[in-house]
Amino acid sequence: MSKKVHISPLANEGMYILDTASWRTERPVINKEKCIECGLCLTYCPVNAIIFDEDKYKITYNYCKGCGICAVECPKKAIDMTPEGGEK
Amino acid sequence: MNYIEKLRTSEDMVTPGMSACQGCCGELVLRRILQIAGKNTIVCVPPGCMSGAGVVGWDYQTGMKIPVHIPLLTNTASFLSGVSQMYQRKGRGDVNMIAVAGDGATADGGFQSLSGAAERNEKMLYVCYDNEGYMNTGFQRSSTTTKGSRTSTTPIGEAINGKQQPSKYVSLIMSMHALQYCATASPSHMQDMVAKIERGLSESKKGFAFIHVLAPCPTGWSFEPDQSIQIAKKAVASNMFPLWEKYNGNYYITVENKKPIPVKEFLQSMGKFKSLTDADIAQIQQEADTKYETLKKLASE
Amino acid sequence: MKIKAMTGNTTAAIAASLCRPDLIAAYPITPQSSVAEYLSELIHSGALASNYVTTESEHSVMSVIQGAACAGGRTFTATSGQGLALMYEPYFQMSTMRLPMVMAIVTREMISPCTVWSGQQDSMSVRDAGWMQVYVENNQEIMDMIIQGYMITEHEDVLIPINVCYDGFYLSHLVEGVDVPSQKEVDAFLPAVHFNHAILDPDNPMAVDSLTSGEVLTRYRRGHLEAMTKALDVIDEVDKKFAKAFGRSYGGAIEEYKTEDADIVLISIGGMTGTARDAVDMAREQGIKVGLIKLRFVRPFPVERIAKALKGKKAFAVVDRSVSFGWNAGPMYTEVRAALLGGNDKYSHFSAIGGLGGADISLKHMTSVIEKLESVKSKPGQHETLWLMKEF
Ligand SMILES: Cc1ncc(C[n+]2csc(CCOP(=O)(O)OP(=O)(O)O)c2C)c(N)n1
Ligand code: SF4
Ligand code: SF4
Ligand code: SF4
Ligand SMILES: [Mg+2]
Repeated sequence: MSKKVHISPLANEGMYILDTASWRTERPVINKEKCIECGLCLTYCPVNAIIFDEDKYKITYNYCKGCGICAVECPKKAIDMTPEGGEK
Repeated sequence: MNYIEKLRTSEDMVTPGMSACQGCCGELVLRRILQIAGKNTIVCVPPGCMSGAGVVGWDYQTGMKIPVHIPLLTNTASFLSGVSQMYQRKGRGDVNMIAVAGDGATADGGFQSLSGAAERNEKMLYVCYDNEGYMNTGFQRSSTTTKGSRTSTTPIGEAINGKQQPSKYVSLIMSMHALQYCATASPSHMQDMVAKIERGLSESKKGFAFIHVLAPCPTGWSFEPDQSIQIAKKAVASNMFPLWEKYNGNYYITVENKKPIPVKEFLQSMGKFKSLTDADIAQIQQEADTKYETLKKLASE
Repeated sequence: MKIKAMTGNTTAAIAASLCRPDLIAAYPITPQSSVAEYLSELIHSGALASNYVTTESEHSVMSVIQGAACAGGRTFTATSGQGLALMYEPYFQMSTMRLPMVMAIVTREMISPCTVWSGQQDSMSVRDAGWMQVYVENNQEIMDMIIQGYMITEHEDVLIPINVCYDGFYLSHLVEGVDVPSQKEVDAFLPAVHFNHAILDPDNPMAVDSLTSGEVLTRYRRGHLEAMTKALDVIDEVDKKFAKAFGRSYGGAIEEYKTEDADIVLISIGGMTGTARDAVDMAREQGIKVGLIKLRFVRPFPVERIAKALKGKKAFAVVDRSVSFGWNAGPMYTEVRAALLGGNDKYSHFSAIGGLGGADISLKHMTSVIEKLESVKSKPGQHETLWLMKEF
């Protein structure tokens, strides 16, 4: 905890980040065969866990909560919700 | 740049790990607004699920990359008026002034201050994420809760069955102020929502901009988290939540609904409406029809 | 400097304008309304270049001001009674966010029964909301304390907002001669606004008022209380500076009158002090050794100065223009008593309550307090509360 006592209640010592990946019971996985790189999954992900990198949409797992929205909204059904193994 | 490019290239302003539930549309809306607004922004998030999820910081750690403040449930628009006026005074009118507030903070406790700020045409973008209840305190009813809904203060009972009153249409009420910009949006219609946020931001440099966003809540409404966007789609498709905007004094329906689906399809896709009677459903249908007719009339004038 | 005849409300508005606030917000309420009106006139005429926000309520007044202060602005407002009550939510947050400002409270009785008249129940009821509060005696002191108020509140050791409290109608609507400093003199006295300890600014992003655990919150409270204590010194310091610049001194947190050789002491707050002084003078003519303490600052409470001023005295009474429900006494009486704990003196003492809801505190009333003091002075302990009221 900070040694410094601010005059007013304020916070500027780094970012408060919760480990939301640990909530996940299912892991979304993009099937590259089916994916048409439309980007809809990225627009709907509440967590911003989907990124566009080297011309491809990719799911990152540091904060993905495993809600499954991306899988439901993918027009090509290219995302599978698979049982979570725990790896990052 | 199309909206998908915009979203994939803009920086997230919110902590990557916030405690909103799986599939929370509030979180989705909050992130979209602020990534479009960017760094030159001051944001207020009053008490509710979003501030409670950690974005306003905890002790000495912040929850955003931009300046953020948690005002009171009752004063978001007036607090931000003060900040905005000072920034105009300092010649820094380019800074985005944004409120992201729940329906309780908007349509109930904060309504007086909101109406005052809109009437004064204060320069800000005020976004209400409407999950139709006080979710943070355990899903109690709010004035925007749909009639018949089960909430923890309008439970299903032998004597009284859910909420008895129809919802208050806060966006239409807001549009009756002489404000700069007013719109409704749904995360299911992302392109439309992004366009409205962009327009809302630019209009907020001239006066008061208000956007009412539907924010389905899997936990409170009782549906599977992966269904959030599907539910939002049905709300629009059934005219439970029509998409329109008002600027320069004119109303426009932005997503026309030539063949609406029955409201029943929307209502039956979640648990909170489980105990609706056929008579309830008929009445909700009629209210949705009337709402859309009213908007069509306004838009055709 | 020019002497001008004006009401307390006009005085407050002019004093505020001389301090060049960035933003003013106000909502009309009796007996404060003419402060809001006069400030509007100054701004609409172009004489004052502040932003003026005409909100829909006092709740929003304090909220707008809080927003402006979070952007580093100097602000002003005034309110009364119900307005203050409605403001309570952001009022508490303003002080606990340690945002400096000067706010006049034109004191008014609280409803019910329905009333719009004078009394100090409004401001006294919020004395534990973290603000500093000073109670003034006349229009000149309204002028002087609003100007001093900015120097005290923005002092880096203080950073606590301050209420300048003056009696509704008795001062707000009373015309008195006031020595009005020139803009140049006030500019020379008062530094430009400079605080930036809690700022919403994209160039320096932070969460202002994050959710806070009890452990951390306790640190903020402790800091706030320590700043209150430091404020006592700052109040004295500013009083001296002001005296040097303008030739008027108020003695800091309390003002003593003929207390040196007194054996009984009357304690007054606010506008009633003039009458109390006259009563003391009259009693002195009859050989009664009575003195007067004018309680100016209620927060921070001048514990040591009170204890020192009453040291060796036989009896005291505090005249309150408000009540402490459940104590059957006035609130300042209970606090003065608390300030004396630890000393060895055995006092005779009682609470006197009057002037509620606009009722007058007459010379006869003040004299009756002195007479009672004189009669109980050799019977140490608490005596029954004296109600300064008309018998029906
Ligand atoms: C004056 C006041 N009354 C009650 C509360 C308790 N409270 C905190 S959040 C909340 C509900 C907020 O509902 P809403 O604005 O819809 O946000 P949501 O939690 O649904 O996201 C309430 C009632 C409060 N913070 N302030
Ligand atoms: S929505 Fe489906 S098809 Fe489109 S980018 Fe995502 S995974 Fe690929
Ligand atoms: S499962 Fe949910 S959180 Fe994870 S990537 Fe898909 S939409 Fe995002
Ligand atoms: S309760 Fe609803 S609105 Fe609140 S965080 Fe959970 S899903 Fe979001
Ligand atoms: Mg809500």
